[in-house]
Formats: sequence, structure tokens, C-alpha cells
Amino acid sequence: MTDFLFDMIATELEDAVGKENCSTRPIDKITHSVDYFWLSRMWADRGLRMPEGDFIVAPKDAKETSAVLKIANYYKIPVTTWGAGGGTQGGAIPVAGGIVLDTKRMNKIYDFNEQGMYIECGTGAIYKHIELAANERGYATMHYPSSLTCSTVGGFLAHRGIGVSSTKYGKIDDMVLQMEVVLPNGDIIETSPAPKHAAGPDLNQIFIGSEGTLGVMTKAQMRIYDQPESRQFRGFLFHNMTDAFNAARELLQKFKPSVMRLYDEAETASLIKKIVGVEKKGAFMNIAIEGVAEMVELEKKILLETFGKYGAEDLGPEYGEKWWKEKITFFYPGHMMDIPQCFGTMDTIAPYDKIEKIYWEMKKAIETNFPQAKFIAHFSHWYEWGCMIYDRFIVDGKDVPRDPHEALRLHQEIWSCGVRTALANGGVVNDHHGVGIKLGRLMKEQYGPAMQVFEGIKKQLDPNGIMNPFKLGL
Amino acid sequence: MQFSQKSKEHIDSCRFCWMCHHICPIGNATGLERNTARARALGLSLVTREAIEYSDDIVANVYECSLCGGCVADCTTGWDPVMFAKEARLVAALEDKLPKYITKMIENLGTKGNIYGLDKNDDLTKLIASLKDSDTLLFLGEDATYKAPECAINAINLLKNNGVDFTVLASEPNSGFTMDFMVGAAEDTKDVMKECAKQLSKFKTVVCYDGADAKVMKREYKEWGVDLKANVVTFTEFIASLIKDGKLNVKNNGKEYTIQDSYLLARDLEETEPVREIISACGKVNEMLLNRKGTMLAGHLIMNEYMPKAIEDVAKNRWTNAINMNAKIVVTANTAEYVMLKKTKPEGVEVKTIEEVVAECL
Repeated sequence: MTDFLFDMIATELEDAVGKENCSTRPIDKITHSVDYFWLSRMWADRGLRMPEGDFIVAPKDAKETSAVLKIANYYKIPVTTWGAGGGTQGGAIPVAGGIVLDTKRMNKIYDFNEQGMYIECGTGAIYKHIELAANERGYATMHYPSSLTCSTVGGFLAHRGIGVSSTKYGKIDDMVLQMEVVLPNGDIIETSPAPKHAAGPDLNQIFIGSEGTLGVMTKAQMRIYDQPESRQFRGFLFHNMTDAFNAARELLQKFKPSVMRLYDEAETASLIKKIVGVEKKGAFMNIAIEGVAEMVELEKKILLETFGKYGAEDLGPEYGEKWWKEKITFFYPGHMMDIPQCFGTMDTIAPYDKIEKIYWEMKKAIETNFPQAKFIAHFSHWYEWGCMIYDRFIVDGKDVPRDPHEALRLHQEIWSCGVRTALANGGVVNDHHGVGIKLGRLMKEQYGPAMQVFEGIKKQLDPNGIMNPFKLGL
Repeated sequence: MQFSQKSKEHIDSCRFCWMCHHICPIGNATGLERNTARARALGLSLVTREAIEYSDDIVANVYECSLCGGCVADCTTGWDPVMFAKEARLVAALEDKLPKYITKMIENLGTKGNIYGLDKNDDLTKLIASLKDSDTLLFLGEDATYKAPECAINAINLLKNNGVDFTVLASEPNSGFTMDFMVGAAEDTKDVMKECAKQLSKFKTVVCYDGADAKVMKREYKEWGVDLKANVVTFTEFIASLIKDGKLNVKNNGKEYTIQDSYLLARDLEETEPVREIISACGKVNEMLLNRKGTMLAGHLIMNEYMPKAIEDVAKNRWTNAINMNAKIVVTANTAEYVMLKKTKPEGVEVKTIEEVVAECL
């Protein structure tokens, strides 16, 4: 692009969002080039600059977003939407340059609706702020991922996020009522006024998880809940994973706890020992039950009876309470894996008939093909029919190549091995971190000819291919 | 660019951590990614790796931090973005890279005795002249003297009218807080502090009206070996003790006051209860959701000199928090926060200083 054209486009973008909300400053370009994706962090750690956007724009609403997308379409400039940069898959990295559309100015709460039990807000709102707003009025969002404080509403929607209380309250895609979306051509649309209907396919679910490839979600109605009258925790230690799966499946046919987390022996002996203090060997499982006090008492009785049948050792409430208190601590530097380690979370999901096999096969594949890698896992989101594995590989600093190109290759090879093993055994590319640029190549391997459905939607909505190129395999 | 090993360690821990994203009052107000601890650390990390220059652009970003310590208080693992931001300012000063607006404020301090370049209010000057000598000094500070003289006048009158033994200096030295904010632990900062300590050491007690001055006198002076012989107390501690000792006979008016905790008192000085003791004596305490050490900044007059829109938005955001908690009257012991909350006050609510609340209960 010539300097002349660059300046022309810059003035148009400034006109669309205001001069102070359109930046070409190095600090803005740099800070929008590194997200939580390990490869971007490693690149920066090696003193290298990641691909950067040319223009960092921050529209305040759908109207300004629409103006930006119209300009981008006219000049055929890539647009990468940025929430707060907490994504792990490189979904927010402007790999093709162009415009980075930062949504954080779209952070207004438009309606706190106690009748409809939702907060209507801009998608640039940090989720913790929505939670605080709910708390101030005696409610809660019940969406508590580790990235609660550092991700936006739109960011969670873009990659189908999930929180620790998902078993009772659902994923982010269960928590949204209506959305406002700006299509790549600049049209502003609204999805159905209610999420459950028979007026055709659910428009919400077309855009949720689309990672900025089909448009920009600008407003959303997010559900709120009464604060539970009682929330109780119970820690258990299972002799083996099979018993834990069987016990959990049986429990879920009876009622839904909020938190259910099962840690494999390796993670019980490392993270759980370090942060929660469980010293014993086995597979630690934490359960939280909450709601009306009387119901909670009854559910506790059922929980103890059910897990008792499978030989689980009842560790009482102490470890579970500690876990709840420290649930975000796990992700701070010093507790979480961090550079110079090379690591990744290959979360996948499957029905109970496949999930345990996927775990063992992935563990075997990683440990056999990459003996320098440690494999740990927990199972943190449970349904009546199955659950997800949050399985992680960790290569310690001394085994991580200093050369960034070699490190990139090692990282990608481990990912390909792990995810392909999951796919071969009935899993999916990802459970709740999304796809981004990291796993785009594997989408076709999961979906096969079904991928043409996504490709068809993409082609129709974004014929110039400007929206978040090279993400989601689109 | 020379950073200490300690700062480098904190920069490298913070550069890839997003966990305090929500707590930065400036970032919340501007919505700018660069106004986060991790973005600032990332920029500085790339500078230390010589991937980028310590350019005007990166320096400017270092000055977009209020040093309020919200991120530090929120960090479970104890990393300190305030520490490396201050060191980055010192480096900018040493490398002659200070932004013009900072240089201008430093010049003002030299020529006018305050960074704002303002003259002292006549009424305040006259009131101070009417006070008798005492071994207890009320230290007003730059913000109250030059930006909010009505606060200084109210505070003086409260004490004077109730027979409290105190005095105020006609020509008050600078505590060094503003220099510390602008250039950190520079020799110039220490020289300002030493001069202040010299003048204040003749008093038995120094009551700091502004937590900013109490903060440097109680922390930085000690850390840097600046010898201040007087006993330093905060204005809130002083007023709480006067009420407790019966020297200020307040009557509880039953009104509900919502406390805006000053970050300087709550976080830097770990002082949270005196303001609650005062308010409990005068009325009822209503708490913000983010209170005590978890408080959120509501105003900053130094930054207001060079990013006024952002600082106004900081105050507006805090009003939103207060109103969500059904606040009718917000009380603050921080002059800068008082000024900005007053400037951005929505209809139907009030903002008051500690002395105003106490005065209406006498």
C-alpha cells in the first residue's frame, strides 16, 4: 500500500470512529499483535515482532462498526476483531495486517432487565464488569472461566467459552438471548428476540463461535441468575478414572451440580497438591452444589450416596472451598505454565462411551511421540451424555528450542498429534478455546464435506474474505 | 535502556498476563488495550530485548498509568506494574525523553512551587495568616492548596472553629509526591523531599490533609533515607481521633454516606478504618462493591493535566459504581477524587469531603 493510499484510508477510518479512536501508533500495533496464544508470546519472548495491524480502530457501537466494515470492504482490507486478547488460539492476531477492530469501547450496559433476567450490553464489556454490575444488584452471571477478568463478552461468544459452573448453568452459548451483529457488508442485524423458537435455524448459533469470520457481534443480552441461597463443596478421591466417570454419569442422571472437576492422577499430584493441598494419590474430584438451601441438602445426600457406591473417599468441604477460592489463581504467572515452557491445552469433548479412551490414547500419543512432553489432564465440563477433557502438554524450558522457528514447529507438531488422536477416537477439534489460526487446518479433518456449510455461509456473507482471514479454517 | 533486574523480572512476568485487565481505572475509561499492565509490560519487554526503541510513543504510554496500584493489589502472585512503570519514568528522565507535558509541570514546580503553575488563593492565604503557632502542622499539599482551596479552607475552619491546636505554613514546601509520580526515584525528587523534611522536622506532628503527601512521607522518605523527625498522621486518622477523644462532638444525623476509599490511604498506607469510624459517628456507612484495598480510582489531578477526557471518564465510571449501590452522598478523603467527582457529578447525588460531613454533624 502506498503512503498516499494509507493516509487516505486512515482519514476515512478516523472519520468513522473519531480521530482519537483510530491509531497507527507503534504501541497500539504491538499490544494488539500478541495475545494469549503461546506462539505469539514465544515470538515476543525471542524479541521478534508478530504480524501487526496497520490501523487500530475502536468503534463505540454498531453504527461505527458498520462504517469501518464498509471502508474495509471497499478497499478490501482484512479486519481482525479484538476483545481483550485473552484467547489462546491466535484468533485475535492480525496475521494479514489491515484493521484491528478493538471492541472495548462498546462496553455500555444498555439495560439491566430484572424481569427478563438479562443484562443487555456492548460486546466489548469485560465480563467481570458485567458480573460486578450483576453483583451490585444481588444477581450473578454464573459465567466464571479463569479468564473472567481479562475477556470481553464478545470474546467469549466468539469462541464458545465456558465457565467453571457450566454443568448447572451452561456454556456461553446457553447464556445469550438476543444479539446485534454487524455483517461484513456493514448491515446491522438482530437475531431472534428469544433464543428458543421454531422460526428457522438459530441465528445466534451461527455467529457464536465464528471467531470474527462472519461479522462483528456488537451487542448481546446475557442471562443473569439469582445468587444461590446455598453453595456447598465436596472433594472426593477416586481410586481410578473409570470409577469417577461412572459415578459422575450416574449422578448427572439425578441432578446437576454447578462445578464438576475431575483431575487425573498426574494433575492431582501436581497442581491440586500445590494449590489446593491434597497430598493423597488418586484422582481428585471437586463438586459444588448450589441453589435453594433445602434442595442443596437433598442433593448433597444423593451425591454422597452415589459417589460412595463407586468407592470415592469423601474429603469433606475443605478442599473444594479452597479450590473455589483459588479457582483463578491457577492461571497466574508462577502457578500456570509459562514461557520458557512450551505448553498447550488440547481440550476436546465426547460422549461417555468414548471419553476415557480418548484420554488414554491422547496421553499415549503425546508421551510416545514427544517423550520430552508431560501430559496432564482434568475433566471439567460435564453433561448427562458426556464430558470434556482439559488435557495439557508441557515441555520444560530446557527441551524447548531457543530458535523461534524450531519452537514453532515443535509446538504445532504436538498439537497436530494430540488433536488428530482426539479426532480419530471420536473427539472434536476443540471444546471451548476455539480454533483460531492454531487449529484451522484441522477443521476440515473433523468436518470433511460438512465444512462446505461453513464455507458457503462465509462466501455469502463475506465475499471479499476480509473478516479475520486464516482463522477457523475459513 | 537500563532497567534493574527486579524490574525486568516483573516486566517479564506481567507481559503475558491478562488477569488484572478489569481493574485498571484508566483502561476501563479509555477502552484502550495499551492502558493495561500487560500491554505496558509487553512494550517495555520488547524495549529491553532491543526489538523496539524506547521511543516517545512507548514513553507516553508509561505516563498513561495512574500508579494507583489496583493491578498490584489484584495480583495473586505479587507482581508490581507500578514499580516498573515508575522505573521506566526514571529511565525516561535520565535519557532526556520526558514528554513535554511532564517537563512543563516540572518547570512549574521550580518557578511557582506547584506543578500546576497556579497562584495561591487569597482567602486561603488570609486564613492561614490568621492561625497561631503550634507544634502540630496541618500539611495541605499541592492539590488542596492550588486546585481545591475550598477544601483547604473547610478543613482549616473545621479545626480552628473547634479549638484544635494546629497551624499551617504560609509557604508550604513540596512533599515530593508529584516529582515521585513524574520521575520516580530521581535525585531531584529526593532533593525536594529532603527540603520538605528539613522544614517539617521542627514540628512534633504533621497531619497530612492529602493521602498523597502522607504516602511519600511514610513510605518513600523512609525507603530513601529522608529524615523526617515529625510524627506523620493522615487527616482521617487525626479527625477520627478528635471524635474519639470528644474534641469534635458530632451528632449522628442518620444519613447514609457511601465511602470512596482513597487508593493512597487504603492500598499505599493500608488505612481503611478511620474514615469508617468518622462516617459511623456522623451517619451510616454504605459500601461500594469495590471497597477498601479493592477500591477503584475516582480522579487524578496530575493526569488531568494531560489526559483530561480519560480522567473525567474515570470519575464517571466510579459514579456508576456508586449509583449502582444506591449511593446518594459519596464521601472521599482524597482531594483529586473530590475535584473530579464533583466535576462529573450526575443529578440527584452529592459528593462531600470528610470535613464537610463532620461540619454538618457538629
